[in-house]
Amino acid sequence: MRILERCGEWSRRLWSLFTPRAQFDLDLQEEMRLHRELRARSLEEAGAGPEESRSAAQRKFGNLLRLQEEIHQAWGWNWIDNLGRDLKYAWRRLRNSPGFTTVAVLTLALGIGANTAIFTLIEQVMFNPLPVERPEELYSLGDDKIGCCWGGLVGDFSVYSYPLYLYLRDHTPEFSEVAAFSSGDEVLGVRPNGAQNAIEPFRGESVSGNYFHMLGVRASAGRLLEPEDDQPNAPPVVVMSYRAWRDKFAADRALVGGTLVIKGLPVTVVGITPPEFFGETLRSDPPAIFMPLSMEATLHPEASLVKHWNEYWLFAIGRLRPGIQPAQVQVRVSAELRQWLSDNYVADRYSSDPYIAGRYIKEIPKQHIVVMPAAGGVATLRDENKGALALLMALSSLVLLLACSNIANLLLARTTSSRRQTAVRLALGASRARILLATMTEGLLLALLGGAAGLWMSVATTRGILLLAFPDAQYVPIYTAPSPAVLGFAFAISLLTGLIFSAGPAWMSARTEAANPMRGAGRSASDPSLLPHKSLVVLQTVVSLVLLVGAGLLAVSLRQLKTQKASGVETEGRLMAWVSLPRNQFPSQRLASFYQQLAQQLAEIPGVLSSSFSNSAPISGGTMLEPISIQGKPPVPSIANGKWPGENRVSAHYFETIGTRLLHGRVIDERDTATSRHVAVIDQAFARFFFPGEDPLGKHFGVQTVQHARDYEIVGIVQDAQYRDPRMASYPTFFLPLLQEEKYVDTAEDLEQFDSRYITSIQLRVAGRPEAFARPLGQALAAIDRNVSFVRTRTFREQIGRNFDQEHLVVWLTAVYGLLALLLASIGLYGVASYLAARRTKEIGIRMALGADRPNVLALIMRGGMRPIALGLAIGIPAALAVGRLIAGRLYGVKSYDPLIFASASLALVMSAMIAAYFPARRAASIEPMRALRSE
Amino acid sequence: MPRDEIPPGTLTMLILRVLVPERQLHGYEIAKSIEQLSEDVLRVEEGSLYPALQRLLIKGWVTAEWGVTRENRRARYYRLTSAGRRQLREEISQFERVMGAITRVIQTA
Repeated sequence: MRILERCGEWSRRLWSLFTPRAQFDLDLQEEMRLHRELRARSLEEAGAGPEESRSAAQRKFGNLLRLQEEIHQAWGWNWIDNLGRDLKYAWRRLRNSPGFTTVAVLTLALGIGANTAIFTLIEQVMFNPLPVERPEELYSLGDDKIGCCWGGLVGDFSVYSYPLYLYLRDHTPEFSEVAAFSSGDEVLGVRPNGAQNAIEPFRGESVSGNYFHMLGVRASAGRLLEPEDDQPNAPPVVVMSYRAWRDKFAADRALVGGTLVIKGLPVTVVGITPPEFFGETLRSDPPAIFMPLSMEATLHPEASLVKHWNEYWLFAIGRLRPGIQPAQVQVRVSAELRQWLSDNYVADRYSSDPYIAGRYIKEIPKQHIVVMPAAGGVATLRDENKGALALLMALSSLVLLLACSNIANLLLARTTSSRRQTAVRLALGASRARILLATMTEGLLLALLGGAAGLWMSVATTRGILLLAFPDAQYVPIYTAPSPAVLGFAFAISLLTGLIFSAGPAWMSARTEAANPMRGAGRSASDPSLLPHKSLVVLQTVVSLVLLVGAGLLAVSLRQLKTQKASGVETEGRLMAWVSLPRNQFPSQRLASFYQQLAQQLAEIPGVLSSSFSNSAPISGGTMLEPISIQGKPPVPSIANGKWPGENRVSAHYFETIGTRLLHGRVIDERDTATSRHVAVIDQAFARFFFPGEDPLGKHFGVQTVQHARDYEIVGIVQDAQYRDPRMASYPTFFLPLLQEEKYVDTAEDLEQFDSRYITSIQLRVAGRPEAFARPLGQALAAIDRNVSFVRTRTFREQIGRNFDQEHLVVWLTAVYGLLALLLASIGLYGVASYLAARRTKEIGIRMALGADRPNVLALIMRGGMRPIALGLAIGIPAALAVGRLIAGRLYGVKSYDPLIFASASLALVMSAMIAAYFPARRAASIEPMRALRSE
Repeated sequence: MPRDEIPPGTLTMLILRVLVPERQLHGYEIAKSIEQLSEDVLRVEEGSLYPALQRLLIKGWVTAEWGVTRENRRARYYRLTSAGRRQLREEISQFERVMGAITRVIQTA
């Protein structure tokens, strides 16, 4: 009850702030006038004269103005009047020292800007709900740790086959709807119907017919996909993202209902998604085309995934019915999953192989599905960047804290130089609280100015971080414009910052003794209160040195990595291209003739020294991992230890083209056709791992079970193809001819083999600049078949660089924060030196009067300023050495104590410190001795 | 006739008290009532009456509303709220406790 009354009291006070003050005063006056008149009349009636009674009544009221003031104060209005006065005063003070104001606002803008930028990212990535209807009801089936069941049941399911999805959808009434979608990474070759332009790559995603309905999304033009579109014989239709429609087709209305050719198949575009929709997953370059799952069968007539019960390629997301607990559904779907697995795996598959059947029976009870909230979408970006964002937030907070302490120093120097003024105000009767508030107001005003500048900076910073983090992306669905939450954050953090950095100086100024500064005391040369500021500068020096050295080490290491003489690959004069063969245009029986034509066409490009093509691209890290069986050896305990070798299918001249040396035997060449003896080439790591101390040449192995152990004969050993990251151990890899195939019982393996025979990569070794061959290559491909989608080309050097995007980002961020820390340390030093100079004005005057010349004074102040820097270096260098040792494992081609890097980082620090100390020193040196002595 | 000042801290209680019988009074009537009820012993300082009334408004113990007097003059009328009634009970019991104690001290001394 009491609390309620108090709340009422505060709300009444607050409300009163909005009532017009003049009216209030008039009311009060009228009320009191009535009182006076009635009082006067009553006195008159009691027998006094009219004059006398009026003045008596007046007397009883006392000073009317004072009364009014008292009442205003009771309502709590006085502080708002004071605030207005303080603000005006603070504004004047800031305007009178533009140098200080600029430095302070810039410092704050850096600190607040960095924090706001990171907060924007965190808000967007971690907390923003999907732009769909009631996103809080969405739950994903599985926790996105991809790798459910490629080659075994691993317990935690998050990827489903189409039949499994249908089973779960139809047996879980707790979900009002469950939709499925493919990973959305597929690149589709698209061209507007009839147009002769080259194929353009579009990201595509296959979705179930109920996908849009489940999300509750409405088309911005035309209609979205419906369950009828997702039927085996439905006419092929797709939905385009608003962004692709706007950017690639200039939002052409005619496209809606018009036709596009996707992978050679004419399809109707039935509608456009809403502008804000980016799919169910927050990621860079979201899908531009949504097609029904059933279209997959049309696009891949020979090897469709949709029909296979054990081909796992779909994710699932559902809308929970109101009032249902996720935990309850999790139990339900996990039970369904196990039921489905035992129906299919044990009953249908491998029943001939008791060993495998027995293993499945053991594994099935462990299988389950984790039901995860998906209001923010399926969380790829979120999971990948959680740690990085937390680290960035921590670094940014540190930067802001440093900025705060710097401003505190600067403010302190100011309050010190205005001590006399403060003393005068105190002497004239200002209360200490008012002095305190006035200084605080100045701080808060600075903080708000800094916050506004920081907000502006954060937008640019956020864009910069996104560019760095996703160098390849054309579009990242993260909005950099400040949302209300971001605005609120920036405002709150500015206020907080202002409070933190002005508390100390305000306290100091309020503690001023009215008499002392006027007497001229407190001007001694050494002042113990300077210790904290100096230690702050020391700390900042240490931090910036460590960050600068770290950035230097990482940058040099990165340059070494990028220009490395990679083993197993040559980087000079080499170009690679990503291509895609639409399955409906390239049935498997056409491959042999196509590859022959391709080899011929590539060889004929003028300037090409050698050419090849393969199923997976070299240096890109994406090879298929396969379980193998080796003839005459016990079954490889494949799933358990995870050592599956990588497989790549390659054309003739592959090793020669990418620059891998043959060590023994022979490479894959033109002799190896579909019908010839099945052969394999292995690399050294494969030989070491599977044939320790043996000669692998002539030995046999195969993919999958022991029945296949005789499939391929090893005919050659090549050098380790360790082209990804020279800091990592090389991975066992084997190479097969493109068209040799086996018959597998396991339909999933059959399908994998089918796909592995399609090339995705072409490599060229050329004379001259490799970049120049992108066009002739495209023309050569078009000459064979215009339906080959030609995704992009890159030189080998570029591609190796791309493998270090992550490192790039780390180097950049360390460097940026290092420079920021350096800047802050300089500003801090500037603050301390100014403070020092301000406090020693009189001493300097005496020294100069006694014959010290200007260079002497300059040196005096500079020396004082550089001392904390020297100390910072003394602590910072060992600290940087320690940090260098910590990250030594990530360094390549550079020692963690590289003297050149240490020297240049230290030099940078000393230089900027000298610049920072120079200005106050020069100001001190320009003091007129007589004025300094006379001034206080 | 000599009149006594109202002891500090009790003005609030007196204002609340004269407003009890469900009536609206304006400032002068409140002052008059206190004086009359005290049989002209207590004197209400106008200089403290109006700030006190404003404080009561802030606390929410009374509400105010403009009306007209019998002589057709605009006047602000004050009325007790239920929170004010509670406050009055509290203040009276506290006052009686203190007065009783003081009286006992005086009589035994």
